[in-house]
Amino acid sequence: MSKSINRRDFLKRGSALVAAGSLPLSLIEVAFGVSSAQNFTFAYISDSHITHIKGNRFVRNWDRGLIRAVAEANLLDPKPDFVFYGGDIAQLGKPEEIDHGLELLSGLSGKVHYVMGEHDYYADLGDYWKQRLGPDYYSFDHKGVHFVVLNSILTHEEWMHGKWDTGMDRMKQMARLDNPDGQPFMVGAAQRAWLKQDLDKIARDTPVVVFSHSPLQKIHKGWNFWTDDAEEVQALLKPFSKVTVLYGHVHQIQYNQIGNISFNSAMATAWPWPYPSTYSQVKTYLPKLTVEMNRADPFFERDATGWQFINMHTGNVDVSYVLPDNRNRVVAFDTSAGKPLDTQYQAESKRIPPQTHY
Amino acid sequence: MSRSSVWLSTLLLAALGGVAQAAPLGLPEVPVPTGNPQTGAKIGLGDKLFHDARLSADGKVSCSTCHDPDKGFTDNLPVSKGFNGLTGTRNAPTVINAAYMTTLFWDGREPDLEGQSKQPPVNPVEGGLASHDMLVDIVRQDPEYVQAFRDVFGVEAAGITVDHIAQAIASFERTVVAGNSAFDRYYFAADTTAMSAAQVRGLAVYTGKGRCVSCHLIEQTQALFTDNRFHNIGVGFKSIQGKEAETAAAFVREKRAGADVDVTVLTRANMSELGRFAVSENPTEVGSFKTPTLRNVAITQPYMHDGSLATLEDVVDFYNNGGRAMETDPLSGFQSGGIRPLNLTDQEKQDLVAFMKALTSPEFAARAQN
Amino acid sequence: MENFKTRCLAALALAVLCVLPAQADNFTAADLARWQDEYMAVVGKGEKLFHGGLGSSNTVSCDQCHPNATNVHPETYPKFQQQLGRVAVLGEMINWCIMNPLESDPLALDSADMVALQAYIHFERRGVPLDPGKH
Repeated sequence: MSKSINRRDFLKRGSALVAAGSLPLSLIEVAFGVSSAQNFTFAYISDSHITHIKGNRFVRNWDRGLIRAVAEANLLDPKPDFVFYGGDIAQLGKPEEIDHGLELLSGLSGKVHYVMGEHDYYADLGDYWKQRLGPDYYSFDHKGVHFVVLNSILTHEEWMHGKWDTGMDRMKQMARLDNPDGQPFMVGAAQRAWLKQDLDKIARDTPVVVFSHSPLQKIHKGWNFWTDDAEEVQALLKPFSKVTVLYGHVHQIQYNQIGNISFNSAMATAWPWPYPSTYSQVKTYLPKLTVEMNRADPFFERDATGWQFINMHTGNVDVSYVLPDNRNRVVAFDTSAGKPLDTQYQAESKRIPPQTHY
Repeated sequence: MSRSSVWLSTLLLAALGGVAQAAPLGLPEVPVPTGNPQTGAKIGLGDKLFHDARLSADGKVSCSTCHDPDKGFTDNLPVSKGFNGLTGTRNAPTVINAAYMTTLFWDGREPDLEGQSKQPPVNPVEGGLASHDMLVDIVRQDPEYVQAFRDVFGVEAAGITVDHIAQAIASFERTVVAGNSAFDRYYFAADTTAMSAAQVRGLAVYTGKGRCVSCHLIEQTQALFTDNRFHNIGVGFKSIQGKEAETAAAFVREKRAGADVDVTVLTRANMSELGRFAVSENPTEVGSFKTPTLRNVAITQPYMHDGSLATLEDVVDFYNNGGRAMETDPLSGFQSGGIRPLNLTDQEKQDLVAFMKALTSPEFAARAQN
Repeated sequence: MENFKTRCLAALALAVLCVLPAQADNFTAADLARWQDEYMAVVGKGEKLFHGGLGSSNTVSCDQCHPNATNVHPETYPKFQQQLGRVAVLGEMINWCIMNPLESDPLALDSADMVALQAYIHFERRGVPLDPGKH
């Protein structure tokens, strides 16, 4: 009863699966076109928002989201080179939340690099997070790619260090996404100065991947899908031939190309956010390139949540979104078009009803 | 062929006039593919094939062995027993209303009834035949079959293929549909006396706190009791817990090397637990299985893809505990987002079970009792 | 004769009208402003409930998934609500969310809190045309 399969067939099947967004676990190499030392894979998990209720109780829904992402990420075969965590381990920055989140993340095999999120930061201006995880901005090199991590969720000094009854009061202001008194995110002058001298050390043709929590773009100020000094940061990255920014915070699929910089967002493991364009009372901006994620059925708590794995190839970034209770997506850098495109749904004629948000 | 099945198909054919079929109360019209239209003769042929134990390696296993019309078209066993009494890994789903499924098998590995019926005869723990050629040869030996295939498909013995057999069986299965349960009369025919007070309360739990309605669909004008999708509700994962990655990787390697998914999942208990992943290779579908219909659930015990839950009370407890038999059992990391603890009261649990007993179609209730 | 009768009736009507209080639809700009304030007070209450004021058992609040009440689509109700298996009104879906993601007890459909939530939700969606039944 067994059918023999020749190599041509199984390669075709493998690439068809990749195009459809599912992972041929043992065939990651097939996704790489050109062979290069810079081809490797890493996992990218973000926005778990672990929430402490009382005593030993945490919000079950967000716990399950992170547990699910870790379980699926551990299926990757061959193992990814490392994991990036995109920010917002906690919901209100409490040590219990950070500890519980890190405990769940410890189920991952391999090294994890962390990015600061505002929900980790504002209760104590990052003290506990830095105690457990180290610096909130840094860089390193891996297989010829220069990785930079920024803390892009800072805001005006006077506000951060202002007169607050408790750190939690300040945290709760930042925690509310649609806060009419919200403060804009920024990288700030100090980090931009650090970034400049860090980038001065590397060759212009070195691929650069920048991790930040906020988008390093200006998308919707009302929900802080925004970085106030985005243009200044982008200017520092302009001289490089291959730059990708990977960001969290938005809890939805977004991708964009601004000049030489590709932008890709991460999904949250916790819950999805609507697209800003669905807020009928203000004008908002979403990168035209983006084909939106499928709308969620809230009955399925994991719908429109997920994690991603990144294939780096020849210095460009392909993002595979792993979306439980929904359909996976692949946004790959198209070298001829010079921008990230969805491998299945980019053309208008290929769109499906769940991608219509209103 | 059993007398009772002759009776059933004769009755249906008489009622149907041989071709068009009215939708049962509570169900939509039966979908029929244009490539396999219903005819009285084809249905009769399919009925005969379905009940024919000669179509197996030892001459003792027919479709009706595991899909017995007197047992709600199941076998009431945890996992089915086939050729030589060999057991597989999975519970036999009912054929009743399978015509409304958009994929067949617990992991949806076949897209239609025609595809489904070709697999069990040649599975080593089911029909046990070595190949479809052998199956067709058995049919060709019988002059009555040769005449019937000539009448239905216009082919001579040499031209009979396994697809003809599958089409005839599928046609018969498309007549095995039933609604008109107490629930259907209550909900769609406004018969307020059709369900007991407990069943009415149970319906409220079903569509409310019990969260059943989202996968086991009841809609405004009909109720399939399935969403035809795949979900991991936490059944049976213990055998691969902590070993999901290596089991999945081993499965994919064997599949690439030519292993047949149908054989693997029914003969390798650990790989069976991969569920839909075995077909889609999607990491989000590890341990996901297709939502079965709840119609006639009261007579199609035991429950779940491995038959591990014996009673409806066990099932309700399993869901109430958030996807585990005991509250202290571990939860699968791949658990569907639709599964969570329900905090049902004892009364609510009893009422829910009572409601599920209102889903039995009268013609099958009677037969299950005999 | 007709003329006299008519004029008597007219005089009678006029007398009655002068004696009765102002009719129901005789409202002023000041009334409109006051009623709008009354409405906005309830919108404000709904905004607070929406942003954590419901005090859910698991601390989850509506705005966590619905900032500025987006993705609620009040203009599409009544509609076939997949999660309920039948055509439902907005209040029933609000209750579904309160019971499910918020793991709390539902509100009576005519309770003050339910009215306030709907006032806020509709206010954030003002100007969007009706589209009942839209998924």
